[in-house]
Amino acid sequence: MAITFEHVSYTYQAGTPMATPAVTDVSFQMPDHGYLAIIGHTGSGKSTLIQQLNALLKPTSGQITVGDFTITPKTTNAALKPLRQHVGMVFQFPESQLFEETVRQDIAFGPQNFGMGETDANKLADAMLQTVGLDSSYAERSPFELSGGQMRRVAIAGVLAMRPKVLVLDEPTAGLDPQGRQEMMALFDRLHREQGLSVVLVTHQMEDVAQYAEQVAVMRAGKLVKFGTPHDVFRDAAWLQANQLDMPRAAQFAQKLAARGVTWQQLPLTAEQLADQLAERWPREGDAHV
Amino acid sequence: MANIIEVKHLTYRYQADDPRPALDDVSFDVHAGEWLAIVGHNGSGKSTLAKSLDGLLPFTTGEVTVGGIQLTPETVWQVREKIGMIFQNPDNQFVGATVADDVAFGLENRQIPREEMVPRVEAAMAQVGMADFAHREPSSLSGGQKQRVALAGIVAIAPDVLILDEATSMLDPQGRRDMLNLVRQLRAERHLTVISITHDIDEAAGADRVLVIDDGRLVDEADPATIFARGDQLIKLGLDLPFTAKLKTALRQRGIEPPATYQTASEMEEWLWQSLSNT
Repeated sequence: MAITFEHVSYTYQAGTPMATPAVTDVSFQMPDHGYLAIIGHTGSGKSTLIQQLNALLKPTSGQITVGDFTITPKTTNAALKPLRQHVGMVFQFPESQLFEETVRQDIAFGPQNFGMGETDANKLADAMLQTVGLDSSYAERSPFELSGGQMRRVAIAGVLAMRPKVLVLDEPTAGLDPQGRQEMMALFDRLHREQGLSVVLVTHQMEDVAQYAEQVAVMRAGKLVKFGTPHDVFRDAAWLQANQLDMPRAAQFAQKLAARGVTWQQLPLTAEQLADQLAERWPREGDAHV
Repeated sequence: MANIIEVKHLTYRYQADDPRPALDDVSFDVHAGEWLAIVGHNGSGKSTLAKSLDGLLPFTTGEVTVGGIQLTPETVWQVREKIGMIFQNPDNQFVGATVADDVAFGLENRQIPREEMVPRVEAAMAQVGMADFAHREPSSLSGGQKQRVALAGIVAIAPDVLILDEATSMLDPQGRRDMLNLVRQLRAERHLTVISITHDIDEAAGADRVLVIDDGRLVDEADPATIFARGDQLIKLGLDLPFTAKLKTALRQRGIEPPATYQTASEMEEWLWQSLSNT
């Protein structure tokens, strides 16, 4: 589902003396089957922005379209129920939302809530469990006796069981160990590539942005200050530094070599891209020594 | 160097009939003033180990000595005087209604008289850069600020040993760097011994020594450069690959053979520059 923000603003407690603007005049477009990373400091408005995507928060002004759905300040909640089925939200530490007696029941809860019969929902739950990399032996276990990383997979399986077209992820790898982080990001990448899921990822991990995102939105103090491809965002070292954003390691490294006179066709953002460009200019045996 | 902590044949089971102990015959020393990193994947037993040192988990087999005092149910409070701990989730360790109250909690427990307590609390908050937040509610702070308040609570009681149990893993990159710089500074000023349990490669790189725990056992012990030279095995050990190791793997896949020893980023930069110039 394509996503469009047109002049979207959101103010907490609007119309009261406590009014706090959190998002101001944000406009951007994300194509269907896209992968958008949203970066920016804690408190820059990232989480407020993504809560608009399934209308947990409706804009104070402006308009959002998600596929065929349009959300304006006046949209009624009844009109939004089908939207919520299409937009799967994975919040920070989603494992804290597990509540059922067994893993299977927990995953099947959402589909049943949207009208699916128990048998079908259980079958779907088992399939989703497999998608997130847990075998069927987990289905009968209590979610609370699993490890943190396994609990998070179960929570994500519960979101996937809604068969969303858009997956919204708020720092999905926080607190996982490096291997767990890598597996989790690979899972989202697979869902994006194989099933065409649109992904919106809020993250502090610039390496993940460089490796997976197709578009990047940079938020600062509630405003969208940059929007483009990872290359558009990461190529301007001075701008990144002024905004206290890190460059991916490979780009930092490439810039150090650039300072010594190595020229890059395009600034490499990942170790793979850097190695590609290094290999191209690597002196081969048999080359004439000048 | 004198040992501030000695651990001998420590074994711990969460339940008496667990066939696989969470800690299995672990022995090591911690030198006074060193920064020791303990790494291992989730579930390897590293947090269990940290809690055992502080007497939070009563082990039945083995011996732990902290600052010359053998840890027993009778000496546990003396041992805890010497150790300050910061955990992963800053929200789980607040007791005070304000930042200042929270920092004062440890001193109140030790029945420090008020006239001594007030300046110590103020000094501790100033040291971590949180003096302006003294009367704020802890829940209104960011993650990084919360961990700094936790650190102030420890500065106030001035322990010999600081244990960081994945204390930076929930912070954003800036918060993580600030926190580590602060710990480094405190260590230099107060001759603290630091034990950091971590997955963060930068945190481990700053240590004097790295212990690797796997499946409840101590499987490796070396300086960071030696550990980082393990390449792809690092992932199994619960660490991320240093960037230079990732780049080396990518280069090897393209038929370029880099040196096998661990290189820091600037060493590798130098090597690449030399190789590229050598035409």
